[in-house]
This record gives sequence, structure tokens and C-alpha cells, in this order.
Amino acid sequence: MNIIEVKNLEFEYPITDDEGNVVGGNKVLKDISLEIPKGQFLAILGHNGSGKSTLAKHFNGILLGNSGKVFVNGIDTADDDRIYDVRQTVGMVFQNPDNQLVATIVEEDVAFAPENLGLPPEQIRERVDEALNAVDMYKYRLHSAHQLSGGQKQRIAIAGVIAMRPECIVLDEPTAMLDPKGRKSIMKTIKHLNSQFGITIVLITHYMDEAAQAERVVVMDGGRIIMDDVPQKIFSKVDKLTEVGLDVPQVTQLAYELKKEGIDISLEVLTEEDCLNELLRVADRK
Amino acid sequence: MNAIETKNLTYKYSVGTPFETTAVNDVSVCIEQGEFVGVIGHTGSGKSTLIQHLNGLLKQTSGEVLINGRNIWSKDVNIKDIRFEAGLVFQYSEYQLFEETVYKDIAFGPKNMGLSEEEIDRCVRKAAEQMGLDEELLERSPFDLSGGQKRRVALAGVIAMEPKILILDEPAAGLDPAGRDRVLEEISNYHKNSGTTILLVSHSMEDIVKYAKKVLVMNKGELFCYEDVDKVFSMAEELQKIGLDVPQITKLAQLLNKNGIDIGKDIYTVERAKERLLKIIKGNTDA
Amino acid sequence: MLKDITIGQYFPGDSVVHRIDSRFKIILDILYVVMLFVADNFISLAVAGIFILMAYAVSGIKAVMMLKSLKPIMPLILFTAILNLFFVNGTGDPLVEWWIITIHEEGITTAIFMIVRIVCLIIGMSLLTYTTSPIVLTDAIERLLSPLKKIKLPVHELAMMMTIALRFIPTLIEETDKIMAAQKARGAELDTGGLMKRAKALVPILIPLFVSAFKRANELAMAMECRCYKGGDGRTKLRQLKARPADYMVFMLVLTVLGFVIVDNVVF
Repeated sequence: MNIIEVKNLEFEYPITDDEGNVVGGNKVLKDISLEIPKGQFLAILGHNGSGKSTLAKHFNGILLGNSGKVFVNGIDTADDDRIYDVRQTVGMVFQNPDNQLVATIVEEDVAFAPENLGLPPEQIRERVDEALNAVDMYKYRLHSAHQLSGGQKQRIAIAGVIAMRPECIVLDEPTAMLDPKGRKSIMKTIKHLNSQFGITIVLITHYMDEAAQAERVVVMDGGRIIMDDVPQKIFSKVDKLTEVGLDVPQVTQLAYELKKEGIDISLEVLTEEDCLNELLRVADRK
Repeated sequence: MNAIETKNLTYKYSVGTPFETTAVNDVSVCIEQGEFVGVIGHTGSGKSTLIQHLNGLLKQTSGEVLINGRNIWSKDVNIKDIRFEAGLVFQYSEYQLFEETVYKDIAFGPKNMGLSEEEIDRCVRKAAEQMGLDEELLERSPFDLSGGQKRRVALAGVIAMEPKILILDEPAAGLDPAGRDRVLEEISNYHKNSGTTILLVSHSMEDIVKYAKKVLVMNKGELFCYEDVDKVFSMAEELQKIGLDVPQITKLAQLLNKNGIDIGKDIYTVERAKERLLKIIKGNTDA
Repeated sequence: MLKDITIGQYFPGDSVVHRIDSRFKIILDILYVVMLFVADNFISLAVAGIFILMAYAVSGIKAVMMLKSLKPIMPLILFTAILNLFFVNGTGDPLVEWWIITIHEEGITTAIFMIVRIVCLIIGMSLLTYTTSPIVLTDAIERLLSPLKKIKLPVHELAMMMTIALRFIPTLIEETDKIMAAQKARGAELDTGGLMKRAKALVPILIPLFVSAFKRANELAMAMECRCYKGGDGRTKLRQLKARPADYMVFMLVLTVLGFVIVDNVVF
């Protein structure tokens, strides 16, 4: 069963002249079709301007395409009457944690969505505690958000979305503004949510090391999906990724370079361990 | 001559209150003219505080800072001149843009230096060229540019002051791989062409390895070491102990060494790993 | 310098002062202010002062915070004191008479009186924000003002604006510091020159600050939409405001003190 289905989606930003008249369009999404099964951990990889963030904003009806459709659990995101069902099912986390927190105190911010949903206070309390525990920030519930580190703030932003009990969370470059420690904590949190609660994860990123941790990677360039596969296969296409301005893991690069020198080594290596095993195999075969 | 010298530099926050914390503790280091130095250390290690002392934005609690041999807080030194001598580019520097056109924004620094119109024009055009900004961009509004371009405009705004020392705090933060490579390449070319001393603060060990010749490591407010790249990354385990990451290729080398493939301890680039491995594997097949 | 501003800071705690229903707390604070202005002699002012000091003691807020709240308004306090000192005329002979300056005994007493009054006022208001989380505070204001919805006053929207403003004050202060440092690094001089020069020097600070504030506002609006925000209708609250007997007791206590002050000043 698919949680998100995108069918032939096209989107263009209008271009206006100085007086505000529309004089044309800047097409950022071109004929996108994509199915995301429930429970999947999907990464959408692409450079800035590839259309990946624009696509993400279609997943919960923040943007609506000029043509084509997006369905969330079978609900058309263009259906005005059900837009809050859509938003509750697909939560969104953005790049800058500072700009997503509404309230000063951590637990009050996490309560924002359930309050909007009109839940009774006891249920709000329950959801706030549950969400803070899920991102391992419960002990900070009475802290002032602005005194936390970037990674901690971003976890609060994730908790704020989890409090809606969504089936899917779309994260739009959630680690771009964080230091290595913060980045690691966010990746850990995302994977935990996916494996423990079965929440579908859509991670929009330009960091290959993050995409490499997903189950499936979709690569976007120029508003189109150009690759869609498991990470091992995606990153083994070193030439193609470099061509669209993306990195590959250093060990994949190494395997690629060795292969060019005539060494019979698999390119489907992502981690140090993968690469070690391949190299041991190659070295042993005298 | 040393471009930068600190003697027992110490900086404390909120002195005299219960919140007193030592951000930088007794740092003494000499950086030579023309060096390209990578500065690493995790958040809170004191590296950002340290670099803000080098152009006098912060004043040390004790110790001395010498820029090109002059004590920057001595009475005969105007601190404003130090700011022009040691240019500092902050993280996410594009937020400092404010003028109507890219040209005017880059000219802000040179204007504050009190240069003549012709001098300003020369500095602006040269800085724009060095940061790979096209002539036609100069008359555009800086707010209409892409993220990578904005970042390079902000950099040009500091380079236009033609500082002898350029300090960059995470100049590539938040950019995608292409944007990151572009910014760092421009900085590297600038270094080669101008001979400016460069301090590059970065969380990315891959970037440090690629561009820096020497590495300054900060840990808990103290200078952990200041050595050649080779030396620093051959201490991979020590770096990991103080919570720093090492390049993935270095981690692979550690694994290989443990598993009987003796690739050496000084592996931090893909090229070197490839050379060594080719020797090992081909050696095996020849035998 | 900007870091000195303590308004909107909140120190979580579990004291009696923290636990008073925030609606009561606001009304009590208003009564306290009334008390300060009714107080016309040192005795009643002392009563009000002792009252607020006791409240601080009970709340567990450190005394140093009380002083911190006064720091940003020191110039105002001094200004008021000087005005009173020089311009209050007395009946007796002036204590000092030099050039155009005359100081009467009454001037000194009035100046001291005004200082004490302003200090009491500020620390009283600060206690409210120190002991009440901003969101609960805005909540209480929203409830207290809710009858005004009938005359089409957008009470919920105002309360929401206040919540967001309080949330973003520290963020924007931090940002201002950052921009100032970045422009100083480009040789900007922010604290020298005449008035015009100083005003002009603010442009490189204010424009980036506005640009970033608008960007933040846009992103925040989008994030709020994603979290199903649709205005005040049908919204519930994590915290229910419920008055307990203790709240009424505190209320009565304050009324008694106020009564004493009024009687002391009006009747006698």
C-alpha cells in the first residue's frame, strides 16, 4: 500500500515583470511520477535547484501542481475539505529549526499541533510526552527552546510533528544547518522513528552519506527524476552522479578508481566494512 | 615573519559571575605568512571564539595577539586597521548583504577604509573576478542571486579590502556539493594568486585535507595541536578520542591495517589509498 | 548590551508564585501597580515594597535577576530622579543654590520616592514574566480579553502574535549581534560620529535584519500550516487555567494590602 502517490506532476513558478504581470513560468517539476510505500525510508537526492524541495512541498498540499495529481492515503491533496487530514498524515520538518518553533518552552511548542487539532488536554499531554520521548528530548521539556543546540532544536521540531501522530514525515534538508554531532543525532532519530514506529520517512538531502543510509534513493536533476534504486546501485554510478553535481562516498570513489586500473572490484560498496570485505576478497585472490 | 601570533591567549565569558566560563584557555601559536591553515574542533571547542580575537572583535581576558608583528591592543594601533589587515568572514556570511547592488555591497569595506573612488572600483572588480562573479552580476541586487552566488558576494566583500590574512568560518556550510566545491576552489585559487595567509574553519575533514597545508586543532578551549596535515591525520585515533570525525577513507585504512592489509597510517585521501592499494594488490598478483 | 534585556525571560519553577493562576497573576499585578500609584507616602510604599520582596523570596527567583531587570531602565530612573531633584520646589530654604540649580529638601525626598516607586514597578512586572511561561501568560491575556471578541476584536490573533514575538525576541537579538560583528569586520563604525552618521551606520544592520525577519516569518507561517494551524476556532490548550482555593486566598491577601494602602492614603 502506498502512502504517497505522485502522478505526472508538473509545477512552475510564475515569472512576473516589474508591474507584477505574469509573463511566463519557470518549470521546476517536469512529469514527476513516484510511489512511496508505507514504512519506507526514502531519500530524495539532488543539488540545489534540482526541484527536490519543491516536490517535497507537494506531499502535504503546501504547493499544488499545475497539472498532475498527488494522493496521500488515496486523498487528493487538492481536495480543500480534507487538507487537514493530509497535513496530519504527512508531517513536514524544514531546514532551519529556529523558524519552525512557535512557542518559547519546549513542551508548549510540541503541543502546538495537537492544540490545533482540538484534542482534549489529557490527550495533548499524552501526545507531547510520547513525542518528546520518541526523539529522546523528554528531559528538556521545560527548557527554553532557544538555549538548546541546533540538533536539539531540530529534534524538538520533529517532536512537534510527531505529536500529530503522522504516518509519514517529510524532512526537507533537516541537517543542512547543523554540526556533525547534530547531523548524527538527527539521522539516528529518523532511523529510530522508521524502525520503531514504522513511520514512513522521506528525507530530502544533498548529503550523499545521509542518502546512503536510506532503503531507496531517488535522484533528481533539472526537475526530473533521473534515478530511482537502492543506494548501492545508485552510488555505483559514479560518473552519472558527478555529472549532476553530487558526491559519492569516498570508499565508492576508491573502488571506482581501482576498477579503472583494471582491478576486479564491485562498485556496490557504501560503508568502510563493505569496502574492506571487497578489498580482502580481491587481495586474497592471488 | 609570523602573520599571526598569540601568546597565552585566554578568554573568559561573564567574568565575576557564577556563569564564568573559559572559552579559550592559554593558547600560544605562531602562523607563518602565506600559510593555508585548516582549523578544526567540534562546536564549543573555542575555535570560533579564537578567530574573533584575530581581528579584535573580541578582546582577550589575558595574553596577547600579534598581527604581522604588532600587538593589536597596544595604544599606537587603531583596531579598525587590524580589521582591514585580518579579514574575517563569518558563517552564513550572506546575511550581511544589504546594498541595492552587488557592486555597492562589495564596495562597503573598501569605502570604510577611506579609499579613493578609483581605488574602490579597482578593488571591487578584482575581488568580484577572484570570486568568480561575472561583470553583469555587479549591477544586480544581491538578494536575487542563488545561495552559492550570495556566499561568494559576501566573500568578495571581505576580499575587496585586500587583507593580508583571511579568516573564514565555515565558508561552505549549507551549500550543495557543487556550490561547496566552487567556493572552496575560488578561495584556494585566491590563496595561490595573492599569497594571503588563510585560516579555514570547517567541520568537513575532507575539505580540510583537500585544501589546507597545516591544521590547527582545538579541544575544550585549548590548543590540541598545530601541525602539518600529514602529521595530524596520522593521529586519527587521537582525533576520534576527542570527538572529531576523520575522513571515511581514513576509517577504511584503520580497518585494513587491523585486517592484515598494511596500507600505512597516513591515509586521508582517496588518491593515496588508491596508490598504496594498487601496489599491494598488483604486488600480490605479480608474485 | 542587547543581552541585558530580561523582559520575556522565564525561569521554570514550582513555587506558590509560579502556581498562581496566570489570570489572577495578571490582575494582581495590575492591582499592585494601582497600589504603587495610590501610595503617596513612604509607609504605604514600604508596604508595597515589602510585599513584592516577599513575593520574590517565595518565588525562589534569585535577587540578582531583580537587579538585572533594572539594568536596561537605569537611564530612565536617573532621568526621573534628576528632574525631581532640580524642579521640585519646596517651602523652606533651598539646600543648594548655585547658578540655575536649586535643590530643596522636598526635591530630594520626591526623587528618592520616585526611584523607589519605579524600581518597585519594574521588579513587580518582571516577577510576572519570570514566574509565568510566556505562552501561559498570553493564554491568560487571551482569556481575560475574550469578552472583547463580541466587539470583533481579534483576541486570538493578538495573543498568537504575542506568543511568536516573545519566542523570536532572543533569536533576533542574537541575529543582530551577529550582523553587527560581520559589519564591524568590514570596518563599519557603529559607535562614533554625530547623530546623522550613527543613524546612517544602522542601515547595514537593519536591512539584513529585516530581510532575515521576513524570511523567518514566511518559513514560520509555512511550518505552522504544516502543523494544521487554522486560527483560533476549535483550538484547545495543553494547560487548562483553573482557579484553585489558594488563588483566591492570595487574591484576598493582595486586596487586603491594597485596602490598607488606600485607607492609609485616602482616609488619613
